[in-house]
Amino acid sequence: MSSNCSVTRLQLDSVSQAECPSVHLLPCEIEHDGPAEVSQFFTATIKDRKHEKTVSFRGRGLKGQEVSCPQGCTGLVLREVNKSGSDQEDRTVKVSSVFHKVTYWNLETSPNSDDGIVMAMAWPDLAEAIHGPVDD
Amino acid sequence: MDLGEFEADNSVSCRLASAIPDVCKTEDCCLGIDEAGRGPVLGPMVYGICFCPVAKKEALKDLKVADSKTLTEAQREDLFRKLDEAKSFVGWALQILSPNTISTSMLQRYLNTYCTRHTHTHTHTHTHTQKETQRANNRTHTQMILTVLLFHRSKYNLNALSHDAAIGLVQFALDSGVQLKEVFVDTVGPAEKYQEKLSQRFPGVEVTVRPKADSLFPIVSAASICAKVARDHSVKDWNFPEDLGEVDADYGSGYPSDPKTKAWLLKELDPVFGYPQFVRFSWSTTQTLLDSRAVTVHWDDDEEDGEKAAARQNNTSMLSYFKTSAQQGNTHQTHRFFTERRLQSLATL
Amino acid sequence: MTTKKKRTPHSPNDRWVVVAADSAVETPKKDDSDPTFIRLRNPSTDAASLYLLGSGDVQLYEVKAFNEDFHSWFIGQTVQRDGRLLYVTPMDPLYLLLPYLIKAGEEGKFQPVDQVVMDEDFPACTRLLSCIRSQASLHHVAEEKEVGSQKFQRYSQERTMEWLKKKAERTVKTLRKSNISVGEGVKSTTYVRVKQESETQEEDYLRYAHGLISEYISEDLSKALLKHLQLPELSSPKEVEPPSKKRKLTDKPLEAGEDYTKFNRSDFSRKPPKKMSAAQKTLAKVDKTGMKSMSAFFSPKGKAEKK
Repeated sequence: MSSNCSVTRLQLDSVSQAECPSVHLLPCEIEHDGPAEVSQFFTATIKDRKHEKTVSFRGRGLKGQEVSCPQGCTGLVLREVNKSGSDQEDRTVKVSSVFHKVTYWNLETSPNSDDGIVMAMAWPDLAEAIHGPVDD
Repeated sequence: MDLGEFEADNSVSCRLASAIPDVCKTEDCCLGIDEAGRGPVLGPMVYGICFCPVAKKEALKDLKVADSKTLTEAQREDLFRKLDEAKSFVGWALQILSPNTISTSMLQRYLNTYCTRHTHTHTHTHTHTQKETQRANNRTHTQMILTVLLFHRSKYNLNALSHDAAIGLVQFALDSGVQLKEVFVDTVGPAEKYQEKLSQRFPGVEVTVRPKADSLFPIVSAASICAKVARDHSVKDWNFPEDLGEVDADYGSGYPSDPKTKAWLLKELDPVFGYPQFVRFSWSTTQTLLDSRAVTVHWDDDEEDGEKAAARQNNTSMLSYFKTSAQQGNTHQTHRFFTERRLQSLATL
Repeated sequence: MTTKKKRTPHSPNDRWVVVAADSAVETPKKDDSDPTFIRLRNPSTDAASLYLLGSGDVQLYEVKAFNEDFHSWFIGQTVQRDGRLLYVTPMDPLYLLLPYLIKAGEEGKFQPVDQVVMDEDFPACTRLLSCIRSQASLHHVAEEKEVGSQKFQRYSQERTMEWLKKKAERTVKTLRKSNISVGEGVKSTTYVRVKQESETQEEDYLRYAHGLISEYISEDLSKALLKHLQLPELSSPKEVEPPSKKRKLTDKPLEAGEDYTKFNRSDFSRKPPKKMSAAQKTLAKVDKTGMKSMSAFFSPKGKAEKK
């Protein structure tokens, strides 16, 4: 249980240098971590249709919409700095990006209120109810 | 030929049409259907219809239309100009199936038509939270149907796509007031079945489906010229919606067997996105290249992954859940608020 | 033409997409330390869970992951394979302290709280004390005595129950305002129950709130709270009952004869499916009356014990 001793520091002063990229959640697992020509191939081909956005990825039709971070919340991308191999050592993460909305995409299905991420965005509000201070 | 409307958004299908000659609304007409760009791995597939009064068949012959494949590009352009000049008695219409439409339709795992046929509006609710109930109902229904679907995997194939385009164009002519009596169709597939399908769909119209109809019937030749000219124009001046800067336009004929096309596909492959929408992802040529040279992408309806997912979705998830709990030495069961939202605690970052 | 490659294992992450409460990332006051992710004992599972301590150890945050299979991110001009979305939301540190207080309370004497909150496995738990101090909330769960300048505490079940009741009531309020379905997971045409609607609603809300709070307390405490909230305990050992089971219990006529519920109640009623595909979603509208559930095909075993 020694790893319970190690902590991960969130370097807050990194926020000022954070980028504000566009953030998309895709309905597929892409076995890749790293650069991609997202704006050239993807963002440039997004169409804003009546009640949804459409695009395609690898020949599959995607339908999506934007969801905002709940009020009082901010979207962050955290990135580990000086990654060490050991789980015993303290680690450090920095805020590499900040975002306020996410565009999520369904495979061939129109976005709706049943979509996972839309439902999950209800969590911070409910967490406040469960964890906020009660009156004496 | 003005393809502006298609070029404005070449990710979707588009119908282009000439004005309908007045004489076609009063006299019995014949109509020919042909396609262009079925085989290539690049660019749109174009369906064309051409129609004129039955009495004007000879006049059409005098234009010396012939099967577009036997003509040079210049000859086709010339003949299309002549057809356009004959607009007092010849009309045409095109359905341009964008490569993106072809890809996304053919790669859909389940037939939409199959789905909608079974759609049933569920109106029963006796609760304050109707939406939620409906939601819950939908969930339950989903798994029921999945059972059925697992044994009905099917794709929207090219033939179905072609037939739908052809039927759409004939319907368009009828809706525009063209007095259709005869329809001639060129086909690469089995002619008899297709003829039966079209005859049933359009009672009162005499349908002739024939291989090589484009060389047998001038009205089909005319349609083939319209389709081929549109296909050539759109491929030559393909307006890449991607932000790719200068794209090498030396992609050859677009047929997978063309060395120029092959070389272009090898050169243009992007490891993450694969290709621009100009390329048909549903072609095995494309899939083979992606499988060997691009990053692997998994979809939840991939055959293998999908079945695993279905199993997991059903019972395995419960089992594995209990396993984790047991390992932790207690019987805590996560509340459905969290399981429904796929929210879970983390042990490490 | 379908890619049939197996999924390769994930390599360890070095990037995370997070939705965090603004307070967690507000620039710290001078001299305050940065926030830190720490591992603490989860009071409901007794296992390690990840939390965040805000700068200056003033506020505790919980970390949860929204995790749907087959998802990845585009972040700017990059791909991130791991499609999870982490939530960092404020957490009441009392939930984490309770197990320690309860354990010490068994001795029945007043003790300084910093002598009570110690854990070999989770040394960071002492940092919770500074959260508690800044929030001055210990009196919700403990009686306090002051001798000289020193404070002594003793766990109070009575106070804790009142505190948890207020928590539940708070949660009910938020649930009412939200779109969240607290009632029966599935209503089907074959199972129309006529109940006093308002009564059902009130109890459903409270039970749901109880279930949520039970995520943060021990099973014993959860049971005690159920009593305190005057919610009847359900016969199953599970905290949250599948709705159809509840119906079965309350509706005598159905108990006789065949167990029809097996066709209507499925694991999905509590455990929603993972991401539905397009066709699945479209098909979701289909009337399934009379159709056998998918689980009937896939689970010859395991079902039996649930009947």
